[in-house]
Amino acid sequence: MTHMTGSTTMDDTAVDLHRLGRPIPFRRLLHVEARKLADTRCGSIVASILLVLVLASIVGRGVVYGPDLHTLVDTAGIGYGTLLPALGIVSVTGESTHRTALTTFALEPRRRRVLAATYLVSSGTAVAASLFALLVAVPVTGVVASVGDVPATWEIAPAALAGWTGTNVLLVVAGLALGTLLMNAPAAIVIWLSAPVLWSAVSRLGAVGEAAAEWCDLNRTTAPLAAGEMSGDDAARLAVAVICWIVVPTTAGAARLIRKDVN
Amino acid sequence: MIEFNHVSKVYRKVRALDDVSFTVEPGTVTGFVGPNGAGKSTALRVLVGLARPTAGSATVLGRPYTELGCPGLLVGTLLDAGARHPGRTGREVLTLGAMTLGLPRSRVDEVLDLVGLTGEESRRTVGGYSLGMRQRLGVGHALLGRPRVLILDEPANGLDPQGIQWMRGLLRDLADLGCSVLLSTHLLHEVEQVADHIVMIGRGRVLARGTVRDLSRGGSLEQAFLELTANADRSAR
Repeated sequence: MTHMTGSTTMDDTAVDLHRLGRPIPFRRLLHVEARKLADTRCGSIVASILLVLVLASIVGRGVVYGPDLHTLVDTAGIGYGTLLPALGIVSVTGESTHRTALTTFALEPRRRRVLAATYLVSSGTAVAASLFALLVAVPVTGVVASVGDVPATWEIAPAALAGWTGTNVLLVVAGLALGTLLMNAPAAIVIWLSAPVLWSAVSRLGAVGEAAAEWCDLNRTTAPLAAGEMSGDDAARLAVAVICWIVVPTTAGAARLIRKDVN
Repeated sequence: MIEFNHVSKVYRKVRALDDVSFTVEPGTVTGFVGPNGAGKSTALRVLVGLARPTAGSATVLGRPYTELGCPGLLVGTLLDAGARHPGRTGREVLTLGAMTLGLPRSRVDEVLDLVGLTGEESRRTVGGYSLGMRQRLGVGHALLGRPRVLILDEPANGLDPQGIQWMRGLLRDLADLGCSVLLSTHLLHEVEQVADHIVMIGRGRVLARGTVRDLSRGGSLEQAFLELTANADRSAR
């Protein structure tokens, strides 16, 4: 059985608890959480569907609408608005659905670090997805222009691109927050998908309802950001929506996740 | 070294653990036995910080588990062989563990070899594994970090006779190397063969503890177990 222990001794007193007791570096937790996003059959299928969908919608719109870079990049956002929050929800609830939290939190008992890693990895995915859309839209714009022999519109304001990427990050984080709060993927996804319907109903409930929708609907308040045309008022509205959809549910959900017994 | 010091756990009105105290010394295998629902799993979850005790405390290597920096390098745990993502391969489960602990990928192959999972089996998704294969994978995961303390919840469930014999040999070898092994089970015959010490638990209370010989005095371990748990049930009513 020497191959099992290698050169290390098993004597408790001889163990250098300090050396072995060093906390897991945060970067390592990030690597592990990133790998978990795509290392299951389901994860890899979702990732490939996303890639194909983005490719197909950008090419399709390019052919129909013409070679306009900004429009083509925005096209990817239509799918992202639904898929990125769902990704956030699934990535944070998966551990409790499959009860792998037993293993994860036994290896890293400081649960808030695992949660922080999940948030960062999903946000990184949103940035990567935004860049991927740009990466697809540039050659499609070029090819459509040269094939159709029409001038391409390359204009895209850096502010709009950054704002659009930021919106994608906010959407994925809103999904994470909802997932962290409810710890139940189907419930969180249903709430996310029915939110636009709810808001349109609320906004018709007189002046108060209209004001509530104006300040708290995340889709509505992120619209100026995605367009790269934020005013001071818009920023205030977005901040309120972010507090409602991200700050409050994350804080409440994290407090519960860190305390509760894992089953 | 594992120590439970007067651990109690109350869920609403149910007393899942009631003043549980015992110690597992290095170099020994301790069998933690009791009927279903006796509190075995709850006690092990309290030990590794996954559940909070209502009173008392538990330590591993002299410290609360949650205060160990990278506990997986010191303490191997298998709490539920079924708690795996069904779409992940066995090899991937071990790879994630090795990455978390900062171990080289070669450790994954070593561990697969050690628990008797073939390369082909390791590339299949866990959803298609038998319970016995899941147990082997779980034990392998627990051994990744070459731990000094091993905590296993019902590891013999679902193993075939060869598997049980293999597990017995493995735990014995680890204890002989100085490892503190705590395993919960309700398979009394199995625990009789491998354990040095027994802690019997029923309705959340420690009913008896001692060597296998002490507890089976004048009969079998099974007989002692049935009498003790029957008494516990009677006094609880």
